[in-house]
Amino acid sequence: MDWTKQRYWEDVAVGDEVPPVGFPLSIYRMVVAAGGNRDFNSIHHNSEYARQTGAPDMYANNTFLQGMWERTVREFIGLEGVIKRVKGFRMKIFNTVGDTVTTRGKVNRLWLEDTKGLVELELWCENSKGVSVGPGTVIVTLPRREA
Amino acid sequence: MSADWKEAWRPLIQAVGQDFSEGERQWGADCVEKGGIRRFLEPLEFDCPLHYDDAIARSHGYAGIIAPFSGYLSLTIPEIWRIGTTVFTSAERHAQPEINNPITGIGTKLAPPTSGYFATDLDIEYLKPVMVGDRLCRAGRKLLSCEPKETKVGRGAFTCWETEIRNQREEIVALLRLTVFSYNPHPKQ
Repeated sequence: MDWTKQRYWEDVAVGDEVPPVGFPLSIYRMVVAAGGNRDFNSIHHNSEYARQTGAPDMYANNTFLQGMWERTVREFIGLEGVIKRVKGFRMKIFNTVGDTVTTRGKVNRLWLEDTKGLVELELWCENSKGVSVGPGTVIVTLPRREA
Repeated sequence: MSADWKEAWRPLIQAVGQDFSEGERQWGADCVEKGGIRRFLEPLEFDCPLHYDDAIARSHGYAGIIAPFSGYLSLTIPEIWRIGTTVFTSAERHAQPEINNPITGIGTKLAPPTSGYFATDLDIEYLKPVMVGDRLCRAGRKLLSCEPKETKVGRGAFTCWETEIRNQREEIVALLRLTVFSYNPHPKQ
């Protein structure tokens, strides 16, 4: 990722794609995620335990999935962008070990508040079974060329 | 659970609107520090320099390195083990920490006992950046809704909770609404 490049509000149009990011889920990665985000609920790193709770296998936790959205959005808005709000982050089906989560998005809406350039992005996650998280919205600001 | 399992949730349904925090703050185990941020970014392979390069963060208007927004909730999770306590008391394969398990379900006696839970929905508004050196807590735990439901995994209820995330200066850094499903798994066939 080249962080010296910056996207401006004027560069964005409704319908633009937010480039997808793939996250293959191995046991190793999910254990690293639990250690990193401190959600040690066994359903997220222990297949046997997860199955006892009715899930098909261990599955990615909510903070890990939020992080996937943040990385995807940050790579779109660059260092000058600011994340203001996440809405509709609904985990509909399990994102289980052995699957790959792909985060996707598009630009839904553009508007100005005072001089600030605001953008509503639609974000979702997909895995091999379909849409697994969202679609929800992320409100961000982008810098303006004219500001 | 009996056929009237939904009735067991009535006390909690009647408590919708109540703040269960009793004014108590739930503080994260540690101050925000660079190593913790690095470990958070690692499984995401997320290399945004605002989260590790002080000079770049400052050049973009921040007072220093900022925490990833998606990490705020993690930064409010208390420690599993506290000095003077013993929490790992069993060698049983799936034993959970005996006390102070920081990731809990509903946490009120108004709800019937459940053995499983997971988050389902999240709505969060970010109001201030979180800096290295800050310490975060959850303030308030207001129940917004309680909906008993039977799903593929079991019988239980979706409960939605509203919480402020504050820093050590009492500033609100984020407003969070989190829905969890607390349930008892279906019996094995």
